[in-house]
Amino acid sequence: MEGWQKQKLEGVVIPMKNLSNLPVEVLVGGELETVDSTPLRPYSGEAVSFLSELSTLLLKSPASRTYPDIAGFAYWIRKANLARLSRSFESENFRVGRGLVLHIAPGNVAVNFAFSLAFGLLAGNANIVRIPDVNHPQTSIICDQMNVLLKKDLHRRIASMIRIIKYPRQDEITSKLSKICHARILWGGDATITNLRAIQTSPRCVDICFADRYSICVMSADAIIMANPQVINTLVSGFYNDVFLLDQNACSSPHLIIWRGDSKSVLFAQNKFWQAMKAFLDTKPPPSVIQAVDKYSHLCKTAILLSGSKSNLEQANGIYRLTLEELPHNISQYRGQYGFFIETTDNDLSSLETIVDERYQTVTCFGVESQEVIDKVIEKGLTGIDRVVPVGKALDIGVIWDGFDMIGSLSRIISKN
Amino acid sequence: MGNLEKYKQQFKENFMVEEEDLPNLKYQDIPNWDSVGHMALMAGLEDTFEIEMDIDDIIDFASFEFGKTILEKYSITME
Repeated sequence: MEGWQKQKLEGVVIPMKNLSNLPVEVLVGGELETVDSTPLRPYSGEAVSFLSELSTLLLKSPASRTYPDIAGFAYWIRKANLARLSRSFESENFRVGRGLVLHIAPGNVAVNFAFSLAFGLLAGNANIVRIPDVNHPQTSIICDQMNVLLKKDLHRRIASMIRIIKYPRQDEITSKLSKICHARILWGGDATITNLRAIQTSPRCVDICFADRYSICVMSADAIIMANPQVINTLVSGFYNDVFLLDQNACSSPHLIIWRGDSKSVLFAQNKFWQAMKAFLDTKPPPSVIQAVDKYSHLCKTAILLSGSKSNLEQANGIYRLTLEELPHNISQYRGQYGFFIETTDNDLSSLETIVDERYQTVTCFGVESQEVIDKVIEKGLTGIDRVVPVGKALDIGVIWDGFDMIGSLSRIISKN
Repeated sequence: MGNLEKYKQQFKENFMVEEEDLPNLKYQDIPNWDSVGHMALMAGLEDTFEIEMDIDDIIDFASFEFGKTILEKYSITME
């Protein structure tokens, strides 16, 4: 009998009686009340072994070709990456997981529930993950593979630490779960987060919230003009990954493009860029009719709402662009999906000072140094922008998300001082 | 299985190609070697040879032939 099982018999585990008979559907893991919230150390052998095996399974499955976001998740949890992350995780402190983490996963990005779970596990925690009502195929694909793995004896410990559940949005259930967890990871729009935070938790529960975020792209006209075809191809391919892989739904997908340069250079660069982008898109599957209609009506609506806007329509339903001479401070309210962009020319990036607030998350750059943007954030005391990365890297996940060190926040330090 | 065999096996398994297709194979030459296929290949090679590849090497790994050169950096020699 394993050590932790003996401990259970000796009555050390928190009883989960108040979880029995909760009307939830369990997609992964055993019954809700048998979850074992005894924490492990961060990057435990058990967690790494489970996740790396899941990675192999997912990468080998044909589904990862249909859904590149599954491949992206699987690629991130592969053994080599976890080993690297584990090594660079600060080691001066003694750490252990917090216990039980409740995750409320978002509706807009299908695989985020899986990343959220991975963070929880890697930090040493047991996890109850609530999946939204939206039916993403990726969700059942990943859950199915997890269930296959969790039947193995090797993963028995981890199996006791994972519960993926579904229930129609009900504050009473969320409330019961919120009272027994040691941390919550909350995803959603501003309204959802506000609602979830209003639900009481235990006094020492830690909340990590991922609310509405907005992201932009900054490109230098000169850099585009001088770029050779190979560089342009890499650029549009990277831009495609940032935007079109998830239909511009990820919070790090850019919705606004700020062009640096004088008006003539910018016009030339824009033509060069968008022509290349359109050619690239032509090699990819076309958007569905619904998406195209949605985008067009959004364009018209936005053009009416924003005075002084000059709208520029692409003929082939690929990309919709709205050019503004000046950005209103609340530009982040006007975002669209499936390839809708607002553009402006701004030679010294001073518009950042007008528009950036806590909503702003990622800035992707081409021909503009990331450091310059970072310096601006610090020097001007901007309350937003958590990441500045090259175009193509918007969706790359590290363990620092929205300024939170995930593994650090989800584990606790046992201090010797 | 020698290193060269293991190396070829990763390509064959991930891309459903035959031995004769390997020598001239390059990234994006075939539908299976797209960015998703590339991720699968890299993960498979890392696992097989128990190495962790640098992001620059992952990006530069553009062909079956050149890949051998890259793996040499990780002390994996083809024999």
